[in-house]
Amino acid sequence: MNTAFPFPLAGRPVPFSPGRLGIVAGNTFLEAVRQKLFNFLLLLAVALVASAQLFREFNFGSSELKFISDFGFGAMVFFGSTLTIAATAQLFFSEIENRTALTILAKPIWRTEFIFGKFLGVFAVVGVFCALTTLLLLALLYQRETALMNANPEAFEHGRIIHYGDLVLMGVLQWLKFGVLAAITLLIASFSNTNLYTVVMGFFVLVICHLQYLARDAYGQVASLPLRLLVRMLGYVFPNFQVFNLADQIGIGEGIDPGIFLRVAGYALIYIAVIGGLAVYSFRNREI
Amino acid sequence: MTHPNPASAIEITGLTKDFSLNLRGIKLRAVENLTLNIPEGQVFGLLGPNGSGKSTTIKIILGLLEPTVGECKVFGVPSGRVDSRLNVGYLPEAPYFYRYLSGTELVRFYGRICGVPRKQLDDRVREVIDWVGLSAAAHRRVGTYSKGMLQRIGLAQALVHDPRLIILDEPTAGVDPVGSAEISELIQKLKAQGKTVLITSHLLAQIEDICDRVAILDRGKLILEGAVDDLVGLRDRQSLIVDSLPPAELDELRGWLAARGHVLNAVEQPRTRLDQLFLSKVSRPKKEGDSR
Ligand SMILES: Nc1ncnc2c1ncn2[C@@H]1O[C@H](COP(=O)(O)OP(=O)(O)OP(=O)(O)O)[C@@H](O)[C@H]1O
Ligand SMILES: [Mg+2]
Repeated sequence: MNTAFPFPLAGRPVPFSPGRLGIVAGNTFLEAVRQKLFNFLLLLAVALVASAQLFREFNFGSSELKFISDFGFGAMVFFGSTLTIAATAQLFFSEIENRTALTILAKPIWRTEFIFGKFLGVFAVVGVFCALTTLLLLALLYQRETALMNANPEAFEHGRIIHYGDLVLMGVLQWLKFGVLAAITLLIASFSNTNLYTVVMGFFVLVICHLQYLARDAYGQVASLPLRLLVRMLGYVFPNFQVFNLADQIGIGEGIDPGIFLRVAGYALIYIAVIGGLAVYSFRNREI
Repeated sequence: MTHPNPASAIEITGLTKDFSLNLRGIKLRAVENLTLNIPEGQVFGLLGPNGSGKSTTIKIILGLLEPTVGECKVFGVPSGRVDSRLNVGYLPEAPYFYRYLSGTELVRFYGRICGVPRKQLDDRVREVIDWVGLSAAAHRRVGTYSKGMLQRIGLAQALVHDPRLIILDEPTAGVDPVGSAEISELIQKLKAQGKTVLITSHLLAQIEDICDRVAILDRGKLILEGAVDDLVGLRDRQSLIVDSLPPAELDELRGWLAARGHVLNAVEQPRTRLDQLFLSKVSRPKKEGDSR
């Protein structure tokens, strides 16, 4: 052993390093790949293709395409939420349970870098999921639309009716929404003791985030003041996942307003930053 | 062997650590009012029965746990600060690493986290893996490693950034006698390079051989600390080992000693130590990881 490193002595401040954060993120992503987390994409692909085949007989053109698109995004939200919660909890607790967190946190690394590295790793995994699912959906729609155009030219006299760009934007928004969900799951994981508890709580919060607008609609005006305040509070604490559904008819009909798209994306990024910050704060006090 | 006034690598003052066991406030005191100074450049053994607080102390040194009372400094920097860990390598007890990485990838990963310069990284990784004798298994997934191999790869990741202080929590648990003798040699080499080593182990013979100083903890309290030579050397005795004497000559020797006012305290048949016997009989594998 004769390599002598010009290593800095203790006492030199260690600045926050995006590089180290990236190394943690890369390792997290690699774990997901090598644990074959992506295998379940295959399942989703089969479900999508099969369902598109099943609804061939409608043949009304736009309604069939709408079905495929709605069903595709529905499946994406369902599988994506499950993947996000399960992968975040798993990738976090594999560090705790295998005590690898002990080894890595004994290195000169900030816990902030560790937590945000974990987040980015999961975000990348979910990103790959969203990208592949969107691509598959686009391919299915394009192929079906072409077939319908050939069979039924008069229904398509103004050309293609699907806005493929909007579908991509929707895919991006779902990805950002899953980012918020991953941050929430990481926050829960940062103080909870078990993987299972984290997953259950994650789903619980997911339901609240999806349904809180119902509560606001139902009680926001009529209920008594305390209840109204409570509903308001919930609205501030939990992100409203309904805002990520920009259009009723995804990709068909009216297009997506870029201004609204940007606002919703900003909404997601702010929630990710704040919830991620809370997760770091809670993880800093955790005894490993 | 003891330096006149060496600088401290680790300075622990009045350290107490309580774990709360439940919400009703019942606490378990794992370490109690521990004050300990670990001088630079020495091999320091931390001993004690199971549950005496050795690993807890180590985790506090590394900033993985917060002390309840007291403080701990590593090279003068309070532990808990990120920069206190710049020059520290750590092998946890019963280590377990990312199963999905190969040995080389694992050590590389930790090397990058520690900021080993990219240009030197690959050489350095190869060097430490060779050093712990895992070259042959370096490309296998860590998930397939045996217990002893995990300890070795753990040692490699602790050394990859060439730290000045190396903390080893039971590095020989689960390692065969040959491997554990190799780890002893490694520690001696580290000491020769001027490194400080803090080691815990239940193999007292090994500790006695390699440590300059030891401290013994019992139920979280320090009960003994000092240089090994001072603690176990019996200055008022000597042992002479001779060829077997017939009884008559033995009596003659006794008489000779008695005439000069000395007493023959014991006549024993010296035995080789089992570990030495084992080491002399078992072939030492030529640094091939998969042979164990
Ligand atoms: N996270 C924790 N929560 C509660 N109690 C703990 C925790 N970690 C350690 N303890 C307790 O603290 C005491 C000291 O444990 P520690 O692991 O430091 O012992 P040790 O000296 O390393 O023992 P061993 O030789 O078995 O490794 C034990 O009674 C243990 O049960
Ligand atoms: Mg221990």
